[in-house]
Amino acid sequence: MQTLQSLNHCLLDENVLRSLTQRRVVTILDFLNEDIEKLSIATKLTLSQILSVRNFILDKYSAPIVTGDALLERDRSFPKLLPTGIKRLDHALNGGIPIGYISELCGLAGCGKTQFGFQLAINCVQTLQRTVLYIDTKGDFSAIRVQKILENCGIPNMEMAEIMFKIKIVRIWTMDDLADIIKKIKNKIITFKDLALMIVDSLPTLMFQYLGDQNKIGLALLNTFVNDCRYLCSQFQISTVCVNIQTRWIDQDVSDVDDDKLDSTVREAVIEKQNRCLGKYWQAIPTLVIILENTLNDVEDEHEINVTINKSANVNTCKKCVLKTKNGILF
Amino acid sequence: MAQLISAVELWQNETSLPSVPTFSQSLDKVFGSDGVQLNTMNELLGLPGSGKTQLCIQLCASIQIPTILGGLDAEALYIDTNTNFTAKRFKETVVGSLNRCHKLLENPAEVDELAALRRLHYVNAFGLEKFCAFMYQLPNVINKHDKIKLIVIDSITFPFKVGISSTQRTGLLFRQMAELQKLAVQKQIAIVMTNEMSTRMGLSSGPLVGSLGDAWAHRCNKRVLLSHDEHDASNRIALCLKSNNSPNTVGRFRITQDGIRDIETKT
Repeated sequence: MQTLQSLNHCLLDENVLRSLTQRRVVTILDFLNEDIEKLSIATKLTLSQILSVRNFILDKYSAPIVTGDALLERDRSFPKLLPTGIKRLDHALNGGIPIGYISELCGLAGCGKTQFGFQLAINCVQTLQRTVLYIDTKGDFSAIRVQKILENCGIPNMEMAEIMFKIKIVRIWTMDDLADIIKKIKNKIITFKDLALMIVDSLPTLMFQYLGDQNKIGLALLNTFVNDCRYLCSQFQISTVCVNIQTRWIDQDVSDVDDDKLDSTVREAVIEKQNRCLGKYWQAIPTLVIILENTLNDVEDEHEINVTINKSANVNTCKKCVLKTKNGILF
Repeated sequence: MAQLISAVELWQNETSLPSVPTFSQSLDKVFGSDGVQLNTMNELLGLPGSGKTQLCIQLCASIQIPTILGGLDAEALYIDTNTNFTAKRFKETVVGSLNRCHKLLENPAEVDELAALRRLHYVNAFGLEKFCAFMYQLPNVINKHDKIKLIVIDSITFPFKVGISSTQRTGLLFRQMAELQKLAVQKQIAIVMTNEMSTRMGLSSGPLVGSLGDAWAHRCNKRVLLSHDEHDASNRIALCLKSNNSPNTVGRFRITQDGIRDIETKT
């Protein structure tokens, strides 16, 4: 927390600050928490003077109001989208995944989420020459796989090493670890050269550890993560992609069958529902939701992935495209 | 504190990690590199009698291959939750496999059966409490026996069948697996789990799915489905359903007196 000294307010001269320090009022928060009359007695300032300092602080640190045109100007000065390097997907996304926001990648087990994550990391480093942070929660990051993809692209060894050097991996196992690492990046204890993208693969692996607990610790940690992550995204102008998983639910609509209408053609209507995990809170968090679906008829080393854009601030939702993989390369 | 490394360092690390062979080249390919790689979590799926336990026993034998033949010369820990394991079968497999290895050496030595049997650590963890208690103790066990390079849990489903609600089960499982994988990565251990099949009516991908639900399906690095060959009952088929580092492939193998072997092609 910032000290009062850093305010540089004309009323808070040396003498006043010293008497405040004696009363253990050092930070701005201490000042706001303290009773106004007590402050007035201690500093020998009038009540209105104390109030003016208070208002000065509140003005300075409250959320600012920005007009529409200024906002638009700010938007224009920064790039808004991070190209994924996958042409068909970029087309469907109107250019790429949003910078400064959290996006979500969702799908059933084995549908290619991790593969997609690898490709995204590679493309980001290759085209933009920027760093990617891959937060691995289940030991799924395979450097051998990444190297094979690069090899199949026909990239020479030196360049391959340079690209792989710019992909940073951190292996974590609990939600506390995740909150810790995000906090360290936020406080610049861990720094990256030109970070562009952060991939969290996968969030449910961490969150499911809190399932069945009566307390809401998991949810609280998820909330901290989301807040810190949003701060990081806008402060450092990076994109975050969180991998989420899908589960299937089956609704059995047993229709009321009248006795006289009973015949063999009446069947139970079975509806398969896809459900994004991580609970109701998370549903509203990501600005972009990409759903992957593996097509069933896959040949060895060559298959198709259907992509649906389910939620987006910039694009019409329910846009679809088909990605293909060959020799491990997703395009 | 979690360590931050680049893909280059990780690549060097990964390429130097050995694998536990299955004694069937076709099956090795299904698992990716040359079998079950250390540091990874692998899940075997299949109906009863499809060869899950046999494959586990074979891996416990394969871990003992001498270093001179590129093996690990290490020990295995077998966590049995369902009385699937039989010592007789393990003896047959380990002796058969080691004999095969020794034949390749210039001066073949006799296989020391007792020593080979001593290098398997067996735990019967029946019931939820015993299983959880043992999983909690696991880091101590590994510290005591630092030669253990393979942990088999056969099966992961069994302890969770009764006495726990499904949400609590998922929470507990994911906590245990996080601990287990942390240990595996720290100590460079391969983990193999077996899972049963269950029926869910109305799914578009067919009613037969792995137990423990869709969320669990994401947890392991590799998922391999074992089944009988329709055309030849003595042959088995393995299909990789999910893998973090290799394309999904199909392999064939058979179960012999001596353990898992390749199917010999008739000439």
